[in-house]
Amino acid sequence: MTTALQSLSNELADAVESAGRAVVSIHARRRIPASGVHWRPGVVVATHHTINRDENITVTLPDGTTTPATLAGRDPGTDLAVLKLAGQSAPTANRRTDTPPKVGELVIALGRPGPSLTASWGVVSRVDGPWRTWQGAEIDSLLRLDLAIYDGFSGGPLIDATGRVLGINTSALARGVPVTIPVATVERVVTELLERGNIRRAYLGISTQPVRVPESLARKLELKSDVALLIVSLESGGPADRDGLLLGDVLLELDGAAVNDPGDILAKLGGDRVGKPLAVRVIRGGQVTTLQVTPGERPTSRAA
Amino acid sequence: MTASATAGLAQGLAAAVDQLRHITVQVRTRGAATGAGILWDRGLVITNAHVIRGDRATIELSDGTVARARLVARDSKRDLAALELELGRPVAGAVVRDSPPLRVGEMVIAIGHPGGLVGAATLGIIHRAEGEREGRPPRWIRADLRLAPGFSGGPLADTAGRLVGVNTMVQGGLALAIPAVAVAAWLQRSHAMAVA
Repeated sequence: MTTALQSLSNELADAVESAGRAVVSIHARRRIPASGVHWRPGVVVATHHTINRDENITVTLPDGTTTPATLAGRDPGTDLAVLKLAGQSAPTANRRTDTPPKVGELVIALGRPGPSLTASWGVVSRVDGPWRTWQGAEIDSLLRLDLAIYDGFSGGPLIDATGRVLGINTSALARGVPVTIPVATVERVVTELLERGNIRRAYLGISTQPVRVPESLARKLELKSDVALLIVSLESGGPADRDGLLLGDVLLELDGAAVNDPGDILAKLGGDRVGKPLAVRVIRGGQVTTLQVTPGERPTSRAA
Repeated sequence: MTASATAGLAQGLAAAVDQLRHITVQVRTRGAATGAGILWDRGLVITNAHVIRGDRATIELSDGTVARARLVARDSKRDLAALELELGRPVAGAVVRDSPPLRVGEMVIAIGHPGGLVGAATLGIIHRAEGEREGRPPRWIRADLRLAPGFSGGPLADTAGRLVGVNTMVQGGLALAIPAVAVAAWLQRSHAMAVA
């Protein structure tokens, strides 16, 4: 007789086995190999922080064969990297897109930090709306996990109890707390990395710090909010410098929306804003001035 | 999952844990509780070598019976020890799972006595399946399972209550257990020599 407990155990092992057919091992760093997921035919998704070199990368498939791979692109913002394999007929990940994960849902993290597949289990501990990583990239929804992280966690898939993929795991985006980059974000980043090799993000070439505008000035200028952003550094020759912003200007609005936090600027600087002028309202010399600034394309690893 | 299925699951787990507690013993050497042990067949108790000091131990069964036991085999390298119970009556031993091999993601249960908490249970899954190499059983079973001191020498079992391993140590957060089939093979070699 098979009990409910035995059935659950068998189903979990089945889920691991079927999803594991799309989990690969990537040789792109010293010591232990990294995990990756065969996402689309010939396309493997991994995490940026576990791919330490751009060349001489090989991938070991679940059947044990090793094949060369080329790096199609990487995005430090979302910690994703995309590799291409020649002529791949191995199974690809079965993604769950119909229902979002729920808090308390039983999940399994898979990895392949070597020839064999590894698994750890736990629950989804937090689900929230879109969030921004410390490097400014937007992730469609926040998925935090309550499970143990072992070697091979990053770059592996998070799967549900039926083996469907919920996203790519990483320990590098939230100070070591396990998070999952959801399927929607992975799809978006994979498409763009395959097309362009990098993720386009607009940038102004400024650093800012929130400051409180004196009450008398706020009243005089009829400001809606008394917190604004002081420009504390300006990249020489960058978009903001070129279009006339000055060190010491206090940013009130960007593209018609109030800015109170440096994150508010990042929110306005998606890849589609490159080359499109933005109206910027600043306090300069005690007066409110409006300028037009045209964001440039952000070179990799540069602030807003 | 329906409410009744969840209830069935909870009852199934409780029943499996209850069954496993009957084959789990407390091991005391020189008066101090040092770990857990497993009732094997023919009145033997299996535990880790690091749980046993000297060549005698006191064993407390799950029903509270206390008996003396004599060391009959010990392998410090393999971290295994076998003791013979001086009980005067037969006791039921663990059922070993010879096959099928463990699968990654399969659920496993460990019983031990962490911090004096007798018969504590913890639930996890198999982390990695180790293939047989040259016909020899794998050296370790690796499970995503939280072990604590006091689990040493106790059973790791599948959801049907069959013994799959002897909980031995924690490495990088993973539970490492000596496969039960390896224990059986070791016992056949060493016990035969010790008793003969």
